[in-house]
Amino acid sequence: MGVVVKKVELSWLDRTYVWPVLKGMGITFKHFIKQLFTPTSKRYTIQYPDMKKVMPAGYRGLHELKRFEDGAIKCVACFMCAEACPARCISIEAEEFSDLNITQGFEEKRPQVFKIDMLRCIYCGMCEEACPKDAIWLRNDYEVAAYDRLSMQFGKWDLMNTYAEADGKARITEDPMPSAPRRVLAM
Amino acid sequence: MDTLASLLHTSPALAWMVVKIVIVFSAVMLLASVWTWVERRGSAMIQDRIGPNRAALFGRIRIIGLAQLLADGIKFFFKEDLEPTDVNRGLFWLAPFLAFVPAMLGFAVIPFGRDFVSGGTIYHLSVLDPGNGMGMLYPMAIGGLAVYGVLVAAWSSNNKWSILGGMRASAAMVSYEIGMSLAVVSIFMTTGGYDPAEIISAQGSLPWHWNVVPQFLGFIVFFTCMFAETNRLPFDFAEGESEIVAGFNTEYGSMKFSLLALAEYAHLMTASALVVTLFFGGWQVPFVAHPSVGLSILSFVVKLLFFAWVFVWIRWTLPRFRYDQMMRLGWKAMLPMSMVNLVVHAWLMSHGR
Ligand code: SF4
Ligand code: SF4
Repeated sequence: MGVVVKKVELSWLDRTYVWPVLKGMGITFKHFIKQLFTPTSKRYTIQYPDMKKVMPAGYRGLHELKRFEDGAIKCVACFMCAEACPARCISIEAEEFSDLNITQGFEEKRPQVFKIDMLRCIYCGMCEEACPKDAIWLRNDYEVAAYDRLSMQFGKWDLMNTYAEADGKARITEDPMPSAPRRVLAM
Repeated sequence: MDTLASLLHTSPALAWMVVKIVIVFSAVMLLASVWTWVERRGSAMIQDRIGPNRAALFGRIRIIGLAQLLADGIKFFFKEDLEPTDVNRGLFWLAPFLAFVPAMLGFAVIPFGRDFVSGGTIYHLSVLDPGNGMGMLYPMAIGGLAVYGVLVAAWSSNNKWSILGGMRASAAMVSYEIGMSLAVVSIFMTTGGYDPAEIISAQGSLPWHWNVVPQFLGFIVFFTCMFAETNRLPFDFAEGESEIVAGFNTEYGSMKFSLLALAEYAHLMTASALVVTLFFGGWQVPFVAHPSVGLSILSFVVKLLFFAWVFVWIRWTLPRFRYDQMMRLGWKAMLPMSMVNLVVHAWLMSHGR
């Protein structure tokens, strides 16, 4: 089956070539004038270091480890995120802590080391999906860069403080509750 | 002028000459380099972008990006002057100058303001005084030389893309030269002389007496041919990023490249000066029969800048032509059109109009 090619019949005015050129120049000049009188802040271009793009809700940027009001980490070191992570960039080491009065004799778990290799992370948000405690969120910070590879290994305290300033929270560098010494089962 | 001349122990004529040369060529150089910025800012605005606006004097004074010129100059100046191993050394060095000098020289006969009398001497505001016997033929001839810059640059680079670009560009220039010359000839005919001063004074101060109105066809032909002559889009066959890399200047870098780039803009300035002189009354001020010298210079500069801007404007409006399309346009449209223009005007003149 052949394809019928429709030929556009140009009017004599269009075939002079001069008139369409003038029309085209009109269009470009309109753009020129429009852009010239648009204030910088309203132009399409975002002049990056001076202006920053406001990220849409749901953007997956830098991670934050959430905390309770008292500064305790929400994460319970369940390793779900580490399992879900397709880039295998989360490494967690758990530790135990407890106020045995509250926890009725049971031990509680939290991460002692929570490391994300930001160079390997693909910002897919799977960790956020997997977390049963809503303890890890991806938020809107997209300027994740550093001068060397080591500074791209975000540790537990880096992750807990990533949005401290933006949210007006205090920076914390230690858990409110000390970790319990690992109990050795007496056999 | 006389005091300046006596201070320098030269004759007033010589001093005036030097002053004119310095003023004209530095102005053209300055405009050419400013136009590299105008081109980029203008194209950005046309495409809803912003363009170079961040270069700043002392890191602070931004002056809408004009400092970009200095930044570019410094950058080109301090770049390594790389020379590929298999180039033809002498020609490789010569080519930027061959491109740049003719582009500047064409300006020499263009009157950029009306003559004035001071102390009994007439001062002409063009580098070469009128009545030098060359008149408008001189920029045409010099413009023809411009093809050497491109061709020599292309040939000496010893690069297939460069040669392709150079060949195409020279073919384009040569074929458009004919149509252009015929368009100019009909102006010579109606004016009765080929001196730019005569052409300008014959046009008078009324815009509808300027050559563009009776010879609109000639204007279209001439202007189109100027695009081919200056090697600018839509006829930029010397270059062509999509097919032959950067064409004739592929192998060039640092100051040599910057000279080639400046040559293009100097050529653009000369071309728009020619358009203004031939078709838009040169320094004539609309509706002012006897303008003052300053006003006439201002009028010339405004027209010049307008046409230089039109060159930029058209570049960012039209897509490129294909090579065969351009050749067809040159030989089958521009040449017959300018011939018709010539014949019609000859006929009109012979019937006493
Ligand atoms: S965003 Fe994706 S890649 Fe990055 S840590 Fe979470 S699960 Fe891993
Ligand atoms: S962040 Fe969430 S999923 Fe990951 S270990 Fe902590 S509680 Fe489990």
